[in-house]
Amino acid sequence: MSVVARLEEHRLDPRQELGELLAQAGGDGAVVSFVGIARPHSKSGAPVDELVLEHHPILTRQSLEEIAVGAAERFDVSHVRVAHRCGIIPAGEPIVFAGASSAHRRAAFEAADYLMDRLKTEAVFWKREIGEAGAAWIEPTETDFADRDRWG
Amino acid sequence: MKVLFYGRLSEAIAPEIELASSSNCSIAELRQRLAAAHPHAAATLRSQRSRVLINSSLVGEDFVIGASDQIEFLPPVSGG
Repeated sequence: MSVVARLEEHRLDPRQELGELLAQAGGDGAVVSFVGIARPHSKSGAPVDELVLEHHPILTRQSLEEIAVGAAERFDVSHVRVAHRCGIIPAGEPIVFAGASSAHRRAAFEAADYLMDRLKTEAVFWKREIGEAGAAWIEPTETDFADRDRWG
Repeated sequence: MKVLFYGRLSEAIAPEIELASSSNCSIAELRQRLAAAHPHAAATLRSQRSRVLINSSLVGEDFVIGASDQIEFLPPVSGG
């Protein structure tokens, strides 16, 4: 069993994250991964050039760790890996990698789903979309909170 | 005492302010006091989805602030 939870200030390479998870997962039958990517438009359709993710000097890393450990404890998984960007993220670039490996697929699927539902509502970041129209703060929607609440 | 703000509160108020003594005041009272002083940020300051930390620990609304405590206001967070 291993749990990786990292905050990346400059670069996140999903291929490398998946490669490391696959390398760790020897003996497992399933690896599931999710990559979140900065969208080039807002919910209203306005163009977005970049996302800016502010973080807290202590709590952000703690929150990533707590969420990753939560998935490892809850599901029958061998490895959990979370890597999350902060700072300026141009549209089209990856924001987050969340993955898990397990003996059988269901646990890894559920762990990845759980990781993202908690990251959306509990990871300590403050997110702004920056585009031609200016900057807009992005907060979890009621759907995001309902998705989080599915896990109790 | 020092109050730190993050996210939209940092933009609306300041990253950090020095507050004339708020000791013996509860978190709920502090929210009201700050909301009155910063009406453009009042809704976020009063929202229970904005969490308050004292000396890096999450506290409830009844917590009574001490003279040397560091206060942090965290508006709703969102990753992913």
